[in-house]
Amino acid sequence: MSRPGWTEVAAGRPPGSGARSLAYVSPEGDLALWNDHEEHRTLLVRRPELSAEERAVLGNWRAGRSGPAVVSVGEQVHGYGVFTFPYGPVAMGVAEAGGFEVRTYGERILEIEPSVGHKRRGIEEQVVGKTVEDAALWIERRAGPFALSHAAAFRFAAESAAGRPVAERELGVRALGQELQRIYNHLHVLARLAEAASQNVGAAQLNALAESALRALGATFGHRWGFGALVPGAPGRRLDAPDRTDLEARLRRLGSEFEALGETLLGSRTFLDRIQSTGTVSTEDALRWGAVGPTLRASSVAWDDRLRDPTIPYREMFVPVVTERAGDALARVLVRREEVRGSLLLIEQLLDRWPRLGGGEAAPVEAIEPGRGIARGEGPSGDLVYDVRVSEGRIRSVASRTPSQANWPLVALSLRGAVFTDFAFSFESFGASFAETDG
Amino acid sequence: MVKSWLGQAAAIGILTTEFPRRPADPEELPAAARAPGAGPVALASLPPEVRAACPTGAISLTEIDQGKCVRCARCLPAGLVPAPDASANLGSRAGLRWPDGRPPGGTGPAPLAELGPSLHVFLVDVGSCQGCNLEVMGLANPYYDLHRLGMFFTNSPRHADVLVVVGVPTAAMVEPLRRTFEAMPAPKAVLAVGACAIDGGIFAEAPGRAAAVGEIVPVDLYVAGCPPAPVAILEGILALGRRRSRGPAP
Amino acid sequence: MIGGAGLLLLLAIAALFGGAPLALVDRRLGYAATFLGSVLLVIAALAALDAGPFTALSWTGVVGEPEALHLDALSGFFALAAGLVWGATSSYSLAYDTGPGRSLAVAYALTLGAIAVLFSTSDWLLFLAAWETMTLAAYWMILEAVGRPLRIFSAAFVFLAFGEASTILVALAIAGLYDGTGSFAMTSPIAGPMVSVVFVAALVGFGLKMGVAPFHMSEWLPIAHSSAPSNASAVLSSTLTLAGVYGLFRVVALLPDGPSWWGALLLTIGAISALLGALFAAVSEHAKGLPAYSTIENNGLILVALGISLIARSDGLPALAAFALFAAFFQALAHAVTKAALFLFAGDVERSVHTLDLSRTRGGTKAADPVASGAGVLAALSLAAAPPLAGFVSEWMILEALFQSFRFPQAWLQFTGLLAGAVVALAAGLVLVAMVKFVGFAALYRPVRPPNAERPRGLRAPIAGLTVLVAALGVLSPWILTALAPTVSAFEGARTAAPVGSLLAIPSGWSILSGSPSGFFGIISPPALLLAFAIGSLPALAYFALGRRGAERRVPAWSGGRAAPPPSETYTSFGYSTGLRLMLSGFLGTREVRRASSPGVSAEIATPLSYDVDLEVLDVFKSFYDALVRLVLWAAEGTKRAIMPGRIGRYLTYILLTVLVVIVYVAAAFPGP
Ligand code: SF4
Ligand code: SF4
Repeated sequence: MSRPGWTEVAAGRPPGSGARSLAYVSPEGDLALWNDHEEHRTLLVRRPELSAEERAVLGNWRAGRSGPAVVSVGEQVHGYGVFTFPYGPVAMGVAEAGGFEVRTYGERILEIEPSVGHKRRGIEEQVVGKTVEDAALWIERRAGPFALSHAAAFRFAAESAAGRPVAERELGVRALGQELQRIYNHLHVLARLAEAASQNVGAAQLNALAESALRALGATFGHRWGFGALVPGAPGRRLDAPDRTDLEARLRRLGSEFEALGETLLGSRTFLDRIQSTGTVSTEDALRWGAVGPTLRASSVAWDDRLRDPTIPYREMFVPVVTERAGDALARVLVRREEVRGSLLLIEQLLDRWPRLGGGEAAPVEAIEPGRGIARGEGPSGDLVYDVRVSEGRIRSVASRTPSQANWPLVALSLRGAVFTDFAFSFESFGASFAETDG
Repeated sequence: MVKSWLGQAAAIGILTTEFPRRPADPEELPAAARAPGAGPVALASLPPEVRAACPTGAISLTEIDQGKCVRCARCLPAGLVPAPDASANLGSRAGLRWPDGRPPGGTGPAPLAELGPSLHVFLVDVGSCQGCNLEVMGLANPYYDLHRLGMFFTNSPRHADVLVVVGVPTAAMVEPLRRTFEAMPAPKAVLAVGACAIDGGIFAEAPGRAAAVGEIVPVDLYVAGCPPAPVAILEGILALGRRRSRGPAP
Repeated sequence: MIGGAGLLLLLAIAALFGGAPLALVDRRLGYAATFLGSVLLVIAALAALDAGPFTALSWTGVVGEPEALHLDALSGFFALAAGLVWGATSSYSLAYDTGPGRSLAVAYALTLGAIAVLFSTSDWLLFLAAWETMTLAAYWMILEAVGRPLRIFSAAFVFLAFGEASTILVALAIAGLYDGTGSFAMTSPIAGPMVSVVFVAALVGFGLKMGVAPFHMSEWLPIAHSSAPSNASAVLSSTLTLAGVYGLFRVVALLPDGPSWWGALLLTIGAISALLGALFAAVSEHAKGLPAYSTIENNGLILVALGISLIARSDGLPALAAFALFAAFFQALAHAVTKAALFLFAGDVERSVHTLDLSRTRGGTKAADPVASGAGVLAALSLAAAPPLAGFVSEWMILEALFQSFRFPQAWLQFTGLLAGAVVALAAGLVLVAMVKFVGFAALYRPVRPPNAERPRGLRAPIAGLTVLVAALGVLSPWILTALAPTVSAFEGARTAAPVGSLLAIPSGWSILSGSPSGFFGIISPPALLLAFAIGSLPALAYFALGRRGAERRVPAWSGGRAAPPPSETYTSFGYSTGLRLMLSGFLGTREVRRASSPGVSAEIATPLSYDVDLEVLDVFKSFYDALVRLVLWAAEGTKRAIMPGRIGRYLTYILLTVLVVIVYVAAAFPGP
């Protein structure tokens, strides 16, 4: 498919992978990216200035430094007794520097707008002029719980720009780290939901499981959030045979506890009552607003970026893509639960083939020629995109679209018409992060 | 067959750490192994590339600033060795500057009995990556279980004794942080957690950074790390229950 | 010979009516006269309660029956309540009514005079005349709304329509009484087949004036929808409805012990009114509509108490019957005084912040006059039944009476009583919501405007005076109830075998007891409660008195780290009660109406970019009346087409027919010599 005036660029990933042409660049240098799905062809990222009908089919794109992400669905509501209920930026219910503006006549949320930007540190501006390895230190600290997805996508994009291949073993490390972090995030989301439903025993156990996932990360990468884990030859990375056995043992235990816990939690009527039919996202809305990740899959769209991934060992492994039909918080919970299982399965396959992964360790990226690379990856909350330009071994520009940015309109839509007490159940089920949004 | 909550809890057994009765084990402090301390080489004789490679400029000719260090471990292969343990990551701003890469002597701020040992903690995020937030909130999980020490998270600064600040203060969060501190009843203490909250950490030069936490509210104690391990944060809160300092830390 | 008390009564009536011509000279002169009349009326009423009935003036009426202006313990009680209220409203009006016209003062004086005559007449015909005068004068008062907005005419018309319906039914009841006794005297008891007709006609006729369900439109429409002047609102809500109560009690006092369905009917209507009144008060957004709905609730409670009393009387439980009557009278007194205070306060709020919209009253008079504000809070607390205020005592007594319905011999009456008890308790809870909302948004809210410099002086004293009365009525209730014994006796008349004073149901000393001669049921002691409050707050008072406050630091309200939000970002009173609207949507018929206020730019986006939302509640009875109106209009239209086709020939035929009928009638009626 071509678009007049738009140039097709070689999509991300290392060269030679035969990746499909997913990315386009407009004459003005804006970026467009298509999700090439069997049934739905959805433009997920776009220029900042969206026309009305473009917004109807487009998602959400913040091109580099030039514009804010579209976080609200942009409706205004007035009426007798209607007022704005501000929530945050300092509120334990969000636990981040971010908040919401709720339009309500009391009790019921008429419209809700996330108030983003409180955490804007300006990472993408700051890394300009740094080496790729230095820049990675900043990029991974954009959002701790998603550090490895960001680091991996950023590195893929930079490597693609520099035209440098990545060793298989390094790809394995990235996959392993991302899957571990996915497990942590899903457990964390489930724990927050159980907490919101006052399932205190279940929440405590889920929190304990999340902590064991962090400890597994810490034992494997020397850092509980995986900061610095993808640095070529990173110190503290422990992936020799005995360490892998240790990791396997940890994950087996985590898996069996999670099985029992999941059964009990989803057998709890109180818990189900709170999340069933709460925060529903229709398939149509999910596609129109460019939902990604578990949000999209819970609204019956079988899109998982790991399937499209031409590079990482994913293509040789069984990647279970979980979908649910209902689109409500329960559906997202079910998707996340299945994905914890899926990630455990993936890690098992990965560790199995670990000795056969070749290539040893790779050297840092040092591009001399100017180049541009675009890479995607499936983070815990959805797929993310990095668009990186390098020259002379230095970063020239970085732009990104993160899952949190993409999912805000759906958070807002799903809460429309909900009562206040449903807020936590809907909001937490998306796993949206203000840190990841603001950058 | 669905097991009851109780049955599962019994099957899992006790997870809770012995800390602070026993020192933390390496499992609880994985990143501490990346904190640099005095090595076989003197700081002055470190090759200049090592100092240049440090992303935060934490290594000078005479000291290592634990408050700036983000534990990236770049300097460790150059001859520095991992620093001792969690309690070494704790101190006043000056106490985190290690002359010659060694923890300074002395016992830290003098204990004053204004805050009791049972504390209510309010967390405020002024621009973190969520790493520090999640580590602080993780203190409530069964592994650390700060409730067993008589401490609780509160949902309002109105009920808080201790303000835990995480993240690098952005322009939008300076006033909210000040207001949060104002909203707390006295006596109160402030704990700055993580490199971002101490001196900006990796974001010290970031365009979005507006100030240091210590310039906005008086900080009583700093916990170094990026993010600090939960046990280190716990140690910090415990220390506030034992000691107090009124003004800003020196 | 006119006694001293009689002279006072005559002077009182003269002063009240005299207010009308005096007001034509000067508004303030008119109100001064009504104030004087009220004071005299109170003294005369106290004399009637203390020294027994007296007659001021007697003459022979048009139908040849003796007529008199007199007060007995029953009418004296009502005159006392009304006089107390009018004293306050008249002095309030001096400051409140700033013109420009004088007609409000004239209508006001006429209304007061008519009600005073209504209380003191001994004869049903004069009663009816006073009743009609009162209705018309009140109609005039409503029309004097500030600025006279267009909708006032329709609202006042509704008032008049319901008022005339009431007059017709009252006339019917009086005709029934005359039929049974052959006299218009208010003292002739009636027996015979007509009693049930009289009872129902009186209940509906007077119930219309009390505004009880399903006739509550008559009460709230003029007040809530049209901002009748506040002194008028107070008079309407406190004493016009009191006239209805008086009429009902008068008629019932003449009836023999009736079947138990009388009481059950009263219970049912009363409980439904209480619930509906409370519910609509809780969701009302109008600083005068909310108290108006609360009037419906309170009048419902009076009916409930009367109902229990009637059932207990016919079931041979004189102690319970007397206790319920005490409750009814005390409720009437407490409500009249408290509600007047609340309406006067609402008027003050209106003068201070120029709105009666609770979502915008924010802070009300707080900045201008904390005393008036505090008085308003106290009055609302009394209506919310906070101990030891007057409303608490009456609410307690009514619930005590209701929960003794297990003493009734018939199971269905026990059940009705207990159900009514549950409904009344639910209503009490809803009133609490309503009053908290009223107080929160009209009195306690952080003021968003500077004090209004143009707020008239002299509004504070009447409000505060009435509120002091509310508190005193509550705290001194055991003694006040004892003083009401003659009123209960006057109502019970010869029926009570034992002198009421010796019954266990009678309050004695420091406390109020409920129960029967065979057993004690409940007890409260408002003075002791006050004492307990006082002692309980001593440590705190001492703490502050000794100045041990520690370092005081004032910080803004916590708002999630934001600066204090602008008024547009604070909770509205509407929001406060939306929970109820959604929870009780079955009762309230809540529905959300959305209208696009700017259409979407693109057809692909189905939702508009901006819309208006309205959460509407529906009163089923209002829809019923609307349907009724439509039906009548439709029938009228049909009739008009059928018999008035606009053809001259047809009209000539009508005239011819009429002349024929008249001739035939005259010929038949006056046969030639
Ligand atoms: S930040 Fe810390 S670990 Fe990294 S190089 Fe500097 S001193 Fe060493
Ligand atoms: S100190 Fe490190 S972990 Fe903590 S907020 Fe800053 S970047 Fe994140």
